[in-house]
Amino acid sequence: MDPAKTIPLEGRTDDLLRFGIHGVKSDIIEPHPLQSARRSAKQTQDEMKKKILSNTYGAAFPMKMEMDRQILSKFQRPPGAVPSSFVGLEAFTGTMEEFGFEDYLNDPRESESYRPVDMHHGMEVRLGLSKGPPCPSFM
Amino acid sequence: MSRFEESAPARGGFSYDLCKRNEMLMQKGLKPSSYLKTGTTIVGLVFQDGVILGADTRATEGPIVADKNCEKIHYMAPNIYCCGAGTAADTEAVTDMVSSQLKLHRFHTGRESRVVTALTLLKSHLFSYQGHVSAALVLGGVDVTGPHLHTIYPHGSTDTLPFATMGSGSLAAMAIFESKYREGLTRDEGVKLVAEAICSGIFNDLGSGSNVDVCVITKGKREYLRNYMLPNPRTYVSEKGYSFSKKTEVLLTKITPLRELVEVIEGGDAMEE
Repeated sequence: MDPAKTIPLEGRTDDLLRFGIHGVKSDIIEPHPLQSARRSAKQTQDEMKKKILSNTYGAAFPMKMEMDRQILSKFQRPPGAVPSSFVGLEAFTGTMEEFGFEDYLNDPRESESYRPVDMHHGMEVRLGLSKGPPCPSFM
Repeated sequence: MSRFEESAPARGGFSYDLCKRNEMLMQKGLKPSSYLKTGTTIVGLVFQDGVILGADTRATEGPIVADKNCEKIHYMAPNIYCCGAGTAADTEAVTDMVSSQLKLHRFHTGRESRVVTALTLLKSHLFSYQGHVSAALVLGGVDVTGPHLHTIYPHGSTDTLPFATMGSGSLAAMAIFESKYREGLTRDEGVKLVAEAICSGIFNDLGSGSNVDVCVITKGKREYLRNYMLPNPRTYVSEKGYSFSKKTEVLLTKITPLRELVEVIEGGDAMEE
C-alpha cells in the first residue's frame, strides 16, 4: 500500500487554526497521476543503486554510505527565514551536479502565495511537539 | 531522515495545485485552452562528413498560425543540435534544460559532449514524465565517435537512424528521403535533399509552412543556415509606397570598445586568508 495514501489512525496532521479543515478525499485521490510517480521515482532509483552497490561491493559499503548521508543531513540551520543549504549532503549524493526544472522554474519564494516558515512552529515540529508540515501549503 | 525532509525547502518545478480545479471546470463544460504546437516537419540525415538537420518554421495554435518564422532547431552543445516537434513550450524547455545539463557535464569531465549523452538525458527525462511532456525530437551531432542521428518520441523511446523525419509532415518528407537517400552524400547533395524534403512537408501538410531552416554539423564546425529557403514570400506591397517623414542623420561613427572589468590572472595565488 502506498504509504502516502493511507490515513494514519493515530494523530492527525491537522491544526484547524493553522491548516484549515482536513479533507480526507484530498489525501487519497491524487490530482494528477504524475504526482505519485515523480515522488516515488527518486526513491526507487536510490534503492536500486544501493542494491547494485551491495551486490558489487558487499553489504557494508552501502550501509557506510547511508550512515555518511545521515550524518551530513543533520547539519542544518534552525527553521526560519534562512533556509539550510545542505552543501555536504548535496556534494555527497551528487545532487549538486544535477540540474532540473525545479532549479529555475517555479521557485516557491517567487510564488504569489509565499509564506515564510514560522520559526517556532518549525522548531516544534522538529522536536516532535507538533505534528504537521512546518509550512502550510496555502495562505 | 524524515526530519530532514520536513525541513528541506519547498522545491520548484511542476506544481499540481490546480489540477483538481481544472478537472472540475472541464467537467462543467469549459473547453481547455489551446496551446502552441509545432505541427511541423523536422528531418535529419547523415552524410559523409556529418549530420544535416532541417525544419520548417510554422507554429500553429489550433487552426491559427501563431508564429510564421519560429526556430525549431535548438542548440544543445557546440557539436549537437536538436529539432523539436510537439508542444512548442515543451520542446524548448526540455532542450534548454538538457543543454544546461550537458554544459555542467562538460565542466565536470572537461571533454566534448557525446550525442549519446544528450540522448540518454532526454530519454530518461521524457520517460519519467510518462509522455505528458509532449516533445518529439530529432537529435543529431558529430562527436569523437563519429556522426550520429537519433529520434526521440514523447514517451521516451528512441531510434538510431541514417535519416529521420518527425512531426505532422513526416510522411511527406519521408517519401522524399526513401526515394532519394543514399549513403555517402556530399554536403551540397545532402542540403539539397533536406531542403526538398522540408518543402514537400511545407506544401503538402497543413501544420507546416513558411521557410526552411537547415543546420549542417561536421567535425569541429557547424553552420546554422537560418531561413535557407523562403518558398512562401509575402507578396503584398503597398501601392502608395512607404514614406518616412524624418530623414535620419548619422551624427557620429565611432566604436568605443567596452573596457574589460574582469582580469584573468594566470598562475595567481589562491585566495589568501
